[in-house]
Amino acid sequence: MNDDDVLTAVRDQRNKLLMTTPVEQVISRGRAVRARHRIRRLAGTLAVVAAAAVALTVLLPANHQPTAQLAAWTVTRQANGTINVTIRELRDAAGLQSMLRADGVPTSVTFGSEPNPSCREYPGQWNLSQSGVQLSNSSPYILAIHPSALPRGAGVWLGGKFDFAYSTLGHPQITYISPRLPKSPVSKVVRVPVLGAGLVQASPQCTGS
Amino acid sequence: MAVRTHALDFEEFYRGSKDECLLTVLVSVGDKEMAQDLVAEAFARAWASWRTVSRHPAPIAWVVRTALNLNISRLRRRREISVPDPGRIERQIAIERVADSSVDPRIMAALLRLPARQRQVIALRLFLDLDTSHTAEALGIAPGTVQAHLGRAIAALRNDLVCERNQETPP
Repeated sequence: MNDDDVLTAVRDQRNKLLMTTPVEQVISRGRAVRARHRIRRLAGTLAVVAAAAVALTVLLPANHQPTAQLAAWTVTRQANGTINVTIRELRDAAGLQSMLRADGVPTSVTFGSEPNPSCREYPGQWNLSQSGVQLSNSSPYILAIHPSALPRGAGVWLGGKFDFAYSTLGHPQITYISPRLPKSPVSKVVRVPVLGAGLVQASPQCTGS
Repeated sequence: MAVRTHALDFEEFYRGSKDECLLTVLVSVGDKEMAQDLVAEAFARAWASWRTVSRHPAPIAWVVRTALNLNISRLRRRREISVPDPGRIERQIAIERVADSSVDPRIMAALLRLPARQRQVIALRLFLDLDTSHTAEALGIAPGTVQAHLGRAIAALRNDLVCERNQETPP
């Protein structure tokens, strides 16, 4: 037996072992993987922005703090049908969800808890801002929803949670997120709101309609 | 329309390369069911990042590399090392051979007796038909090292298979 015989014998094993997993099963799992990536990316981006905004607020002198007590969120409807949501605090998710649904937006809102397990990601490739939903990247968050621009059968998922960030005192621009506790004595831990939005399949169990 | 094209491209890729990927990963992990799970998960991740993976110079190598990385992560989580058992895989394949496969159990067992890196090089070069540079890239080693592993692996396989043949031949 020479080297060519060995190579031929090994090569001959190709296509003799069959992978039986159907492609539909692989794609279904792929959708779940992609949804997880999207939410992580979105949450990561917004967390950094939120951390910077909160750190600036924390480090401002006391006389710059606002004195008026504002509502956790406000919903306003524009003449062109656009619905603007201003979110200052992650409170009363059920109330916000009810109000948006009453305004005709199929919505699922969760603050500080896992997303509604009945919700399924809207299929296909979509870009949030081109699908009728714009979310500002500074605090307070402003969400602009154009119900008529939502894809057919799509609803809006809005999720918020708190995360921890730390900022270097005296240098608010050097604020960053870390899973570790801060080691530097000049760092300060801040609790920051993280907000994400996405498209889900509209259904009575998930978005109310 | 873009989504539909995306799906069709992936399905074609999956159907055309899944069996070679399974065989390649099986040679590394030594357990058919585990290999099938790892390859399915790697393909799912390829689907999730298909826009990037489809532009990879060797998408099939990306899938195999991902499956092998998943296996490493799995072993780390379990905090134990699983060493492929040539006898076990030979028996397993021997049973399955009757049902649905004609993989030669002697060759699979001989492959599993090779050191892990040599097995990976053989699988990538011979099962996936990757050239030296793509094999080196997939394994994160130098092209010269791929050639060295390939030469040693072929020599070891030749000796192994010749010994087995001599043992089977009556004096």
